[in-house]
Amino acid sequence: MQISLQTNPVSLQTNPVSLSDEFLEELRTVVEQRLSTVDAVCFQHGKDESWHESMPPGAVVFAHSTEEVSEIVKICARHKIPVIPYGTGTSLEGHVGAVHGGVCIDLTEMNEILTVNAEDLDVTVQPGVRRKQLNEHLRDTGLFFPIDPGADASLGGMTATRASGTNAVRYGTMRENVLSMVVVMADGRIIRTSSRSKKSSAGYDLTRLFVGSEGTLGVITEITLRLYGIPEAVSAAVCPFPDLESAVNTVITTIQCGIPVARIELMDEVQMKALNAYSKFDYPEQPTLMFEFHGTEAGVKEQSEMVGDIADDNNAGEFQWATKAEERTKLWQGRHDSYYAAMALRPGAKGMATDVCVPISRLAECILETRKDIDEQELLSPIVGHVGDGNFHCCFIMDPDDLDEMARVESVNKRMVMRALEMGGTCTGEHGVGIGKIDYLVAEHGEALSVMRSMKIALDPDNIMNPGKIIKL
Amino acid sequence: MTENLKPENNDQVLEFVQWAVTQKMPLDVRGQGTKLGMGRPVEADHILDLSGLSEITDYQPSELFVTANAGTPMKDIYAALDQQNQQLMFEPPDYGPLLGSAVDQGTLGGLVACNLAGPRRIKAGSARDNCIGFHAVSGRGEMFKSGGKVVKNVTGFDLSKLMTGSYGTLAVMTEATLKVLPSPENTRTVLVRWAKDGDADQLNNQAMTEALVSTNEVSSAAHLPAKIAARSAVAYLNSAGSAVTALRVEGPAPSTAYRCAALKELLSKFGDVEELHTKNSKILWKEIADVSYLAANQERAVWRISVPPTEGAHVVQRILESAEADVMYDWGGGLVWLQIDEVDQASKNLIRGSVAQVGGHATLVRASKQLRQSAIVFQPLDPYMTGITKRVKNGFDPEGILNPGRMYKGI
Ligand SMILES: Cc1cc2nc3c(=O)[nH]c(=O)nc-3n(C[C@H](O)[C@H](O)[C@@H](O)COP(=O)(O)OP(=O)(O)OC[C@H]3O[C@@H](n4cnc5c(N)ncnc54)[C@H](O)[C@@H]3O)c2cc1C
Ligand SMILES: Cc1cc2nc3c(=O)[nH]c(=O)nc-3n(C[C@H](O)[C@H](O)[C@H](O)COP(=O)(O)OP(=O)(O)OC[C@H]3O[C@@H](n4cnc5c(N)ncnc54)[C@H](O)[C@@H]3O)c2cc1C
Repeated sequence: MQISLQTNPVSLQTNPVSLSDEFLEELRTVVEQRLSTVDAVCFQHGKDESWHESMPPGAVVFAHSTEEVSEIVKICARHKIPVIPYGTGTSLEGHVGAVHGGVCIDLTEMNEILTVNAEDLDVTVQPGVRRKQLNEHLRDTGLFFPIDPGADASLGGMTATRASGTNAVRYGTMRENVLSMVVVMADGRIIRTSSRSKKSSAGYDLTRLFVGSEGTLGVITEITLRLYGIPEAVSAAVCPFPDLESAVNTVITTIQCGIPVARIELMDEVQMKALNAYSKFDYPEQPTLMFEFHGTEAGVKEQSEMVGDIADDNNAGEFQWATKAEERTKLWQGRHDSYYAAMALRPGAKGMATDVCVPISRLAECILETRKDIDEQELLSPIVGHVGDGNFHCCFIMDPDDLDEMARVESVNKRMVMRALEMGGTCTGEHGVGIGKIDYLVAEHGEALSVMRSMKIALDPDNIMNPGKIIKL
Repeated sequence: MTENLKPENNDQVLEFVQWAVTQKMPLDVRGQGTKLGMGRPVEADHILDLSGLSEITDYQPSELFVTANAGTPMKDIYAALDQQNQQLMFEPPDYGPLLGSAVDQGTLGGLVACNLAGPRRIKAGSARDNCIGFHAVSGRGEMFKSGGKVVKNVTGFDLSKLMTGSYGTLAVMTEATLKVLPSPENTRTVLVRWAKDGDADQLNNQAMTEALVSTNEVSSAAHLPAKIAARSAVAYLNSAGSAVTALRVEGPAPSTAYRCAALKELLSKFGDVEELHTKNSKILWKEIADVSYLAANQERAVWRISVPPTEGAHVVQRILESAEADVMYDWGGGLVWLQIDEVDQASKNLIRGSVAQVGGHATLVRASKQLRQSAIVFQPLDPYMTGITKRVKNGFDPEGILNPGRMYKGI
C-alpha cells in the first residue's frame, strides 16, 4: 500500500471558488455586518493548531442562531458554495481548511448555555460554548461535564470531531455523551437528531452519525450533553517508573482488572522534562503515570490501594499525591499543555501530533517499538498518552523546512500507523481524519469507505459541507 | 413460497446477498428469529438464516473484547465470559419469554441489530455503545468492516452506531466485536418499600433521581408497582405487599457496602429500606432486564416507552387516567414498560400523544402480526425525517432487499 503523508508544508487548496458580490450581498441580508472577507480573518479561519498550512475561505460569517445558519446554508446550497463550520480551530488534521474555498461559518458567538436539567443529568448548549465555560457554569449545580481535550475547544467542534480527553476510561468520549443535537442539513433544513429521552432515537441513529462527521454532513447548532455528579472524593497522584515498560504494564493490569480509574495518563521522560520546564514542576524525569480517582471516600481509597499494589509489582517509585483542588488543576493543566510544552523544547520548531490506538494488551509492545524507532531516527518526539484506552501520541518537534528530517518523521509515523493497524488498532483514536489522515483511512477501512461515501452523498448530494475531508468523492 | 437460505460462512453470505441484489429479491434476515415479534413483519420471500455462523472467533480475556459471528447464540458467549469472570456491561436482556418464545435463544446479530440494553444502561449504555466494530455485507452486495477492536476510534463516520438499532435493514452483519469487563465482585440492591402504591407513583421518580444524582455510583434504578413486585421470585419483593423501588450498586466489597449504607440512609425518608445481596440482586435485575413480569398474558400488547427520566411517572399517570395497564419502570424512570389490553386507535393516540408531549417515543413491542402490519410500530417520523431515513437506507441498500418494511412501511 502506497501512502503519501502530507508532510509537505505547501497549502493543499485547489481552485478555491470565487464569491461574487451578489452572493456576499445575499449573505449580508442574513448576518448584516457579521461577514468578513478581510485576508487576515480568512487566513486565521483556514488554519488549525497543527503544522498544516492555512487554506483560507473566501468569507467568514459569524452566526448568531440556528435560523441564521439555516439561511446561510440555504444560500450556499443554492449557489453550490462550500460551507466550513468553525468552532475554535484547535483541530490537528487540517479539518477547517477551505480546500475549495467557500464560506466559513464561525460559531463562537453562539455560546449560550440554554438549559441545565439537573434531575435528568443533561444540559443543552449552543455549539460555541467551550468546555471550560460549561464547567464553570455548572460549578454550583454539583454536576460536571467530563470530556476534556487538551485545548479549550468548543462543544460543537468536540461533537463534530468525536473528541475525547483524559477521562475517557471512566466517562467515555463524545460518542457516549452526546444525547441529541439540532443540525442544519446541507439543504438548510433544521432537524433534531433524537429526543431528550436517553434511549436515543426512533429510527436510525443520526445522532451518532453526526458525532465525528467533521462538518461534512451538516452544521451542529445545538447539543444536548450528558452530565455527571461531581464525585464525593477525588484524588490524584503522580508516579515515576524505572522504564516505559513498567509504566505501561501497570496501565494494562489496572484496566484488565476493571478498576474504574478516572484518569490514567502516561508521559515519557522527554515529556516530563518538557513539563517541568514549561509548567514549573519538579518531578523526576522518568517515565511517569498520572492518576486520578473518583468516587466515594471508600471507593477512592480502595481504587488507589489496588492501583498502588499493581504499581509496586512493577517497581514503581514514590506516589506523590495531589489532594487539594488547586494542585490537581495545576497538574492537569500541565498535562493538557503537553503539546505546547513539547514545542517549547525546540523554539521555532513546529509540532506534529500523531494519534494511534491499539488493543490494551498490545500497548506496551506498540509504544516500545515506536520509542525505539524515534530514537534510532534521532528525532525529537515525546510520547504521551491516554493510555487507559490504548491511545497514545508522539509529538514530533520538527523543522518543516528540513526535508531530511521531515522524511524521517514521515517514515517513523508511517511505520507506527502500520504497526497499530497490524495489532488490530486504528490510525486515529481522537484527532480525526481531516485531510491529514485520508490515505490512512483507505488502509484501515477499504470497502467501508464506499459505504461512508454513499452516506455522504445521501445527506449532502452536492458535496458542499466541508468538502475534501474524511473521504475524497 | 418462503425459502430458507442458510449460509455456512461469510463468503456465502456475500454470495446470497449478491444474488438477491441481482434478482431484486427481498430477504428476511434472521438470527434465531426470537425478535420476530418486534418491529413490523418483513415483506420478503426468502429467509437469510444466519444461525449457521456461530463461532466465537476471537476472545482473549486480557484483550477486554469478544468477537463472534453474528449467528452465535448469546448463551455461548455468556458461558465463555463467565468462565473468565467477565461480562458484557450493558447486560443484554433476553426478551424470548416476553415475546412468546423460549429463553436463551437470542443471537449476537439480533442483539446488535435491535440495540438492546439492560438495566445498567444508565451507566454502561446499550449494544450501540458497546459494539466497537463489525463486519457486514451491505445491500449493495459489498463486504465491509467498520470500527475494530479498540474502544476509541475516530476514523470517519461511525457506522457501527448506525448499524446497531437498524433491525437488519442496512446490511447483513457477519461478525461483531463487543467490549467486555471483569464482573463486579459484589452487588447490593437497596429496596425502598413504599407504604402506599399511590404515594409511590408520585415519589418514586424523586427517590430514583436522588439516588442517581448522589455520589453513590448507582448502576441501575427501577420501580415496580405492588402488583408487579408481587411477581418477583425474590422473597424480599414478592412478600413486600407494596410498591418497591430498587437501586443497584456494584464493585469491590468494601466500597459497595459503603455505598449501600449511604443509599439506605438517603432513602429511608421514603419508606422501609432493605438490601439484597449478590445472589438475590442477580435474580431481580435479570427479571427486570427481561421484563419477565409482563411475559404472561401473551394476548395483551406490550409497549416500550422511552422518555426523559423525570417524565416517566407523569406520562404513565396520563395514560392510566383513561386505560387499565400493568406498568414497570427502569432506567431511573426513563424506560416504561406497559402491558395493555387493546391496541385500538384511541389507546395508540393516547400513548403516542402522551409520549410525544415530553419528547419521547413509544414502540409497540408485542402485538399480533396483523396489528403490527397495520399499526405503526415505531414512533412515526415527520415527512422530512422519513426522507432522510429513506436516503440512508438507499445508501446502504438501493434495491431495498434487506428486511423491507421492518421498521417503516415502504422503507
Ligand atoms: C445475618 C444475615 C443477614 C442477611 N441479610 C440479607 C439481606 O438483607 N438481604 C439479602 O438479600 N440476603 C441476606 N442474607 C442472605 C445471604 O446474604 C445470602 O443467602 C447469601 O447466600 C448471599 O450470597 P451472595 O453471593 O449474595 O453474597 P454477597 O452479597 O456476595 O456477600 C458476601 C458474603 O458476605 C456474607 N454476608 C452478606 N450479608 C451478610 C450479613 N448481613 N451478615 C453476615 N454475612 C453476610 C454472605 O453470606 C457472603 O458470604 C443474610 C444472611 C445472613 C447470615
Ligand atoms: C493542545 C491540544 C490538545 C488537544 N488534545 C486533544 C485531546 O486530548 N483529545 C482530542 O480528542 N482532541 C484533542 N485536540 C484536538 C482538538 O482540540 C479537538 O479535535 C477539538 O474537538 C476541536 O474542537 P474545535 O472547537 O477547535 O473545532 P474546530 O477545530 O473549529 O473544528 C474541527 C472540525 O469540526 C467541524 N466543526 C466545528 N464546529 C462544528 C459545528 N458546530 N458543526 C459541524 N461541524 C463543526 C469543523 O468543520 C472541523 O472539521 C487537541 C488539540 C490541541 C491543540
